[in-house]
Parts: sequence; C-alpha cells; structure tokens
Amino acid sequence: MNKLFYPIAAVLILAGSAFTFIAAQNYQIADGYNIAFSGGEIGGIFKTLKGAIAFDDANPASSKFDVTVDVASINTGNALQNKHAKSDEWFDAAKYPVIHFVSQKVVKAGAGYQVTGDLDMHGVKKSITFPFTFRKGGNGGTFNATFNVNRNDFKLGKPGGEVEDQFKLEVSVPVTK
Amino acid sequence: MFKKALSLGIVSGLLAGVAGIIYARVYYSVNEADFSKIVGTIKIIAASLFGGVLAAVGFTLLNKWLKDKGEIVFNFIFTIISFVSLLAPIAYKLPLTMDPSDVALFPGMVIPMHFFPALGWYTLKPLFIKK
Repeated sequence: MNKLFYPIAAVLILAGSAFTFIAAQNYQIADGYNIAFSGGEIGGIFKTLKGAIAFDDANPASSKFDVTVDVASINTGNALQNKHAKSDEWFDAAKYPVIHFVSQKVVKAGAGYQVTGDLDMHGVKKSITFPFTFRKGGNGGTFNATFNVNRNDFKLGKPGGEVEDQFKLEVSVPVTK
Repeated sequence: MFKKALSLGIVSGLLAGVAGIIYARVYYSVNEADFSKIVGTIKIIAASLFGGVLAAVGFTLLNKWLKDKGEIVFNFIFTIISFVSLLAPIAYKLPLTMDPSDVALFPGMVIPMHFFPALGWYTLKPLFIKK
C-alpha cells in the first residue's frame, strides 16, 4: 500500500496542476460596459449587466460565459418608449426580469472567437451563435461582439409593424482579472 | 401695431424665459434630475424669445387680415400651438447615458415651459396693446 501512495499522489498532483493550466481565467465585469440594440428607428441600451466570465484565449473551449441583463434597466432615451418596452407587449419586465445567456461552446474563429449558447429572453430559450473578439489590455481586456437577434424568435412585440424584426446588438464588455 | 406687438413679444418672451429658468432650478432641487446640458439657460431664453417674436408676427398678421376677429383667432391658435408643441418633449430622445428614472422626469420639466410664452403674452398684453 505504501509503495502505491507516492506514485498515486504524484499522478494526482500532476493531474491537478495540469488542470489549473487548462482552466480559463476568471474575469470580473468592469464599469463602462455597453449593451446597445437598434432596430430601425428604435434603439437603446441596457444599463445593468451581471455575471461570471471565464475566458482563456489560448484554450477557448474551456471558456464560460454566464451573464444576465436586467430588463428594467432598458433605456431608449425616451420615457414613453422605456415604459412600452418594459410592458407585457414587449419584454414584460415584471414577469421576465432578466435576459440570461449561458455559453455552451466557445471556439476560435478567424481573428476572433465564436460562442454558442442559450439565450433566455422573454420566457423563450433559444440557442444562438455569434462572433466576438477579445482585446487584452492592462489587467484584463475588452470583449466586443456585434450580432443580430430576431425578436420574433423570442415573441417580442408583434411581427412586422414599425419596429424591425431583426435587432442589431452591439456589446462591449471591459473585464478585469 | 407691429412695433407694439414686437415689444410685447420680446418682453413676454424674456419673462417666459426667466420663469422657465426659475422653474428648471426648482424642478432640479425637488427631483434632483439635472437636464441643464440638454435644456440650458440659453436654450430656454432663446426658445421663449422665439415663441414671443413668432406670436408678435402672428398677432400682427391676423389682426391685419381678420380685423376685429384677429385677436380671438390669434388666442386660439397660440393656445393650440402651445398644446401641440408638447409632442416635442414627449417624443424627445435623451442621451442614453442618462439614468432611465431621470429620463421619465424630462417631460415633467419641459412641458410647463411650453405654456410660459402664451401666459406671458396674455398677462402683459393689456400693458402694451390697449383697445
């Protein structure tokens, strides 16, 4: 038994230390993030973002994004539009107070990366894939992504009308270690 | 006639501007919502003066065309324009950097100001134009 103890311990330590190299770096979301949306004449931002980000640019497969956006923090710059956006006709902030995104897969794609994950919005969970970049800087870096979301996929508003079906999302999230 | 109307327009416009600035200060102290970068002192004075001078031109023209009924029609139009102009602050899009709770307070500050030029005009008119 004693003969096996040291080899097993060595294997466990080696495996454990190797795992620490594989595990992605945890990042904190820093101030100054921007989550902007635009669809024709309608546009605005969400002011509150929370979540956990683990990212390794050398090994993106080990990365994980689990973020939530507070629906009530929507700001279109106009009080009537804010109220309308939070109503049950659109985001229904009272019933679905957050937009939740959890990544399932992160891969390298060209000069940037591509993430696939579940977007839970307005009570509808749907898998989406979008590209993003990560620019290192200082004690962290900044994630940037621009992609489209079809509001009809999430039963937001009525199809057609004055508001475009495709919403362009521009996300910029500075992070620190 | 136009000279008197223009004087009335300028004085009532200035008075409306001063009232607007005082109202903005009171509104800020009560609600702590600062809109001075969007609706500053100069903008309030300029907009009020614009309203007063426009009223002077309208008053003169309507009195010329409609004679005795000119003033009645003018008063109606001035009040209706003041009401219709409320759509502007209601539809106005503020900078997205502003807090959404402050955004909701913006119409409450600007809407009363839209009536100040008309109030100033109706208040001071007897002093400038006597029948």
